[in-house]
Amino acid sequence: MEGLGLLVNGFVNSFTVVNLVACFVGALIGTIVGVMPGLGPTATMALMLPFTLSYGATTGLIMMTGVWYGAMYGGSTTSILVNIPGEAASVVTCLDGYQMSKKGRAGAALALVAIGSFVAGTIGILGLQFFAPLLGNAALSFGPPEFLCFMIFAFVLLSNLSAEAPLKGALMIAFGLFLSTIGINPMDSYPRFTFGVEKLMLGIDFLPVAMGLFGVSEILSIALEKYVRPQINRVRLRELYPSREEARRSVYPALRGSILGFFMGLLPGPCTVISTFVSYALEKKISKNPGEFGHGAVEGVVGPESANNSAVMGSMIPLLTLGIPFAAPSAIMLAGLRMHNVEPGPMLFTSHPDVFWTFIAAMYLGNIMLLILNLPLVGAFAKIAMIRPQILMPIISVICLVGVYSVRNSLFDVWVMIIAGVVGLFLRKWKYPIAPFIIGVVLGPTTENSLRQTFLMFRGDLSLVADRPISVTFLALAAAFLAFKFAAPFFGKKFPLKIEEESKL
Amino acid sequence: MGKAAKFRLETCFDFLMLVLGIVIAAVSWGYGFGSFGRPGPGLYPFFIGAAIAIFAFFILVSDLRSDTGKPVLDKEGAVTLILMTVTFCLWIVAMPLLGYVVVTLLAAFAFCKILKLEGWWRPLAVSGGTALFIYLLFDYWMYIDLPRGILG
Repeated sequence: MEGLGLLVNGFVNSFTVVNLVACFVGALIGTIVGVMPGLGPTATMALMLPFTLSYGATTGLIMMTGVWYGAMYGGSTTSILVNIPGEAASVVTCLDGYQMSKKGRAGAALALVAIGSFVAGTIGILGLQFFAPLLGNAALSFGPPEFLCFMIFAFVLLSNLSAEAPLKGALMIAFGLFLSTIGINPMDSYPRFTFGVEKLMLGIDFLPVAMGLFGVSEILSIALEKYVRPQINRVRLRELYPSREEARRSVYPALRGSILGFFMGLLPGPCTVISTFVSYALEKKISKNPGEFGHGAVEGVVGPESANNSAVMGSMIPLLTLGIPFAAPSAIMLAGLRMHNVEPGPMLFTSHPDVFWTFIAAMYLGNIMLLILNLPLVGAFAKIAMIRPQILMPIISVICLVGVYSVRNSLFDVWVMIIAGVVGLFLRKWKYPIAPFIIGVVLGPTTENSLRQTFLMFRGDLSLVADRPISVTFLALAAAFLAFKFAAPFFGKKFPLKIEEESKL
Repeated sequence: MGKAAKFRLETCFDFLMLVLGIVIAAVSWGYGFGSFGRPGPGLYPFFIGAAIAIFAFFILVSDLRSDTGKPVLDKEGAVTLILMTVTFCLWIVAMPLLGYVVVTLLAAFAFCKILKLEGWWRPLAVSGGTALFIYLLFDYWMYIDLPRGILG
């Protein structure tokens, strides 16, 4: 009952003009970003960070989750209408969504996806509401060795799941961890890698690096591409009604996708993308007519789209309960919360319960807003995909410049952003994943603290980790994953969860 | 250009990362490694540097053995990248002197032309609208005091 009271309180808090506007703006911008091939949710969230600083932590969190969530809703629109995924998590939707569109069922596909996403979002929020406080309490028993081992487990999975070549993922994590060591070490006030440069004493700020790697590099990447004007099928409001058969066939895929996506969201890496592939494979496997997949099967559209929405909520669990982001967008959120002096983790539910419960309540409202936005305005959103990058990119470029400067009135930060942007462009070209790098930067201080505290606790004798069952479990899982990965080729098995996310962050 | 371009750029980057890893480890050692019982400030970055060097070494070896190099940028792409980067840099240099509104307008116009937005009216309209939007957003909505330069 305490949870219900806190949720009601959360609804009261979220019904402020600022929070409602933040939720609406986040959802709207997210949908627009999802619709437009090019800029992804991570880049947009990084660009929006400076603008959330004028408001509270809760408002900032609501706005950024709205963007992420909205992008999942909007991403399907161009997949279905144009056969171009608005963002990476909608690639699978192209397979059957566009085929439905060619059969004149685009409106029905869009409506079913919107309703499926709404159901998945609601189930995801319910899961988050139920599991997050439980896991938060369980995480209170975590000491430095547990955090360290959990981080090792997360890094192993992250490097393997987010890159074409796991070594490149591992290198990016290590480089991110290094970047976080620059500046005065708070544990012993020792300046490291500053080389006498005063600006480096406080370390490299996260925001310019994130805006450079996700925002500027994306702008440069789009600027170098040849623009092909998409042809969009028109959809009228009356065409949005699915047939009774289509609606019936969508019920179970939406539910399965929701539950599957939520648990996939707990995995480190591009969970939203992975969830869509797994959901599609599952639907095809259990379908009575697998041959229909790829030719306009409604299950192949609704299942994956439900899964990616639910995965967003699942991925909030490690962020909110442990303070450990598993995906690039949640790393940006963590940075945003830290800017507001809110440290997510086990103590969040006791030190800032209002942040969590207001966020949950706002997500329920955001989910309804997205459904209302997406159904009648689908035609308008589809037209947004027609805006040329020659118009959009100059606007986003100068917003990046002024935005990053405005946070600390620092031209040094703008230089950092541009350098990170150019480096990020080449990293994308060479298939170095950026998400593990940014997660490394964010988790660097926690990793170092956990490592040093573990050493101090055990007086240098790391064999004592064996006496900590949770730590041993995480290490065993990491070892088992690596063993499976290395052994699979010897048994003639392919390792399927190799998702390249950098095409669109 | 295929393999050679890859060698020049990606392989150089891998090599740079290898050197960086070694430098990080060496500099960290200088900060004081301490012991496992009493870790010094250099212990953690030493391991990070070593990890970077090891990963970069294997990637470098794998790159040198691979023969699937593709040019990262064509000539036109390289010119666009250079022009975009120069415009970004000029914004930083000119903004404190001329003020953010004027420089933002000029930068947006330059970006439009670099990205080949046709004619003069469209780039002018986009850059003018963007500068006005930025001014309203930062001055009137967020009350952030940014350099105004010659406009005072």
